[in-house]
Amino acid sequence: MNFLSLAIKNLLRRRGRTLLTVMGVAIAISVLFSLLSLNSGYQKQLDKEMNSLGANVLAVPKGCPYEAASLIIHGGVIPKFLSESDLQKIRNISGVELATPMLMEQFIKKNSITGKDEPHIALGINIDEYKQLKPWWGVQGRFFTNNETDVKLIGRALADKENITVGFVMPAGPFKGFTTVGVLNRTGDQDDNFHFVPLAEAQRVFNKTGLITTIAIKVKDVNQISEVSAEMEKIPDVQAVTMTQVMGTVMNLAGSAESLLMTVIAIALIISAFGIINTLLMSVNERTKEFGMMKAIGASGLDIGKTVMAETLFITVIGGVIGTVGAIVGSSLIEGYVKGVLPYTPRGSLIALSPELIAFCLVFSVVLGLICGIYHAFKSSRLTPMEAIRGGIE
Amino acid sequence: MSVLEAKDLTKIYRRGREEIYALKHVDFSVNPGEFVSIIGPSGSGKTALLNVLGCLDTPTSGSLQLNGTETNGMKETDLVKLRRDNIGFVFQQFYLMPTLTARENIELPLLFSKRDGNKSKIDDVLEMVGLADRGDHLPGQLSGGEMQRVAIGRALINDPKIILADEPTGNLDSATSKMIFELFSELNMKGLTLIIVTHNLDLARQAQKMYTLRDGQIVSCEDLACVQGRDDLVIQQEVVRA
Repeated sequence: MNFLSLAIKNLLRRRGRTLLTVMGVAIAISVLFSLLSLNSGYQKQLDKEMNSLGANVLAVPKGCPYEAASLIIHGGVIPKFLSESDLQKIRNISGVELATPMLMEQFIKKNSITGKDEPHIALGINIDEYKQLKPWWGVQGRFFTNNETDVKLIGRALADKENITVGFVMPAGPFKGFTTVGVLNRTGDQDDNFHFVPLAEAQRVFNKTGLITTIAIKVKDVNQISEVSAEMEKIPDVQAVTMTQVMGTVMNLAGSAESLLMTVIAIALIISAFGIINTLLMSVNERTKEFGMMKAIGASGLDIGKTVMAETLFITVIGGVIGTVGAIVGSSLIEGYVKGVLPYTPRGSLIALSPELIAFCLVFSVVLGLICGIYHAFKSSRLTPMEAIRGGIE
Repeated sequence: MSVLEAKDLTKIYRRGREEIYALKHVDFSVNPGEFVSIIGPSGSGKTALLNVLGCLDTPTSGSLQLNGTETNGMKETDLVKLRRDNIGFVFQQFYLMPTLTARENIELPLLFSKRDGNKSKIDDVLEMVGLADRGDHLPGQLSGGEMQRVAIGRALINDPKIILADEPTGNLDSATSKMIFELFSELNMKGLTLIIVTHNLDLARQAQKMYTLRDGQIVSCEDLACVQGRDDLVIQQEVVRA
């Protein structure tokens, strides 16, 4: 027999109460784990999304620059446009390595499997320049050329969702008759869900001849981003948005939601801590006579304190393990909820699981146990045998 | 030399401004191997005396020597050690841990004394208290007499010099009480010193010495060693063992 087995047997005496306390801890640790993993996952995914654009700066029409940039990154339509002359002016700025135009449009298309109307994003691009922007792009089939007509590429997720393979001819919609010449290899970002067509074809189909939604710019030297941005903003109607700015704005938005979640988690932890303290208080008060007996048969104050502490730690460690495992198992549900709450969320998994995070949550549950148990352990260890046998502690 | 010697013990409990004298200038001594009973009406101070003798409670004044060591003024940590090494307690309410088996309850003091709890020693104690085949039962599965036997086994496991028992038969029927006292007598014959508080005069008379307490004072001390009934009982027990 040892103090842990004694503690476990004591806890099993009041199974229902022990279970409820363990669940209280589990919920608190689960919320803590989810939030921390989301926080780090969100930043990682956002970084990835920004990098996957391949550009350092976006040129967007003057207006709401960050909203426009977010829409462009994620896929969306803004009602203002840039022109071919804006593109030329940007290309002439020294420090610009590559400036490639894009026309982004949204259209509604019936899902070929479910038959439901769904919004789709089409991107008109200059394929040669775009490949320079995204050198990691691979394709099943082939890329189109800029001069081809009635051809398109689609993202892997979209192809899988609609069961589209190379050679598929669109039966309806704005791209009716367009042949899918290639399916992009999975990128893990927004490109997986887009339709890509030559820029001229997009301008023709959507009747936006000579118009551009945005220009993605790659600079020669990343240290010159601010100078290039300043030069770009001298062009009327052009607003430069750097990826750092977009990221900062998004993180600020996410930060407010995160503060709210932090408050929720703090409340959950406090409630859980009071639950543990209350359970232990009841448990200790009920057993003062038992502690008196234990002292009479040779237990020191330290032995009593160790028994109470072992019980507390057992509750919190088991709660911590259940909470962490529960959070990992239910991470997709939590992610879905968070994606609905946050104003902007990157695509891909927001939950970043790491051994450090798991260890942190388990250590946190131990610390929670120590904090909650120390008072009771101290109080019960200080009892004299007769005090304990006669009465109780408050 | 006395194994336990109390001189001029006084114990006062305070309830608000009221002072209650549980013990008044009590002198008391027990020699090694003696079997002593303490009787008296309720509120006479029997349990208070036993608790002070067992170092569970401190006297308000007076001195108490346990095995030659003065306990007055000792720190609780030292008292724990002294109790652990010298005294085994048996309570009226048994105070067994309900989630531990009889064997584990007996083993419990070894956890605190950090002594080696080898299986054979626990088996010996179970055998001694007549529970060799009930070791794996939980207290809830045992009768009152069996539970008290477990409590006696628990008191014996650390090889104490003295057993202090507070109304050990208070919750038991007369037949079971008799069996428990027979067990105490057997232990005494093996050399263990016993001090037992009881209401039961018949059982108390089986001890070698019987103290009577009234209003916190010892009013009589009878030496029962030469009483005919006692001799008969000893002879009878020796015949049974033979």
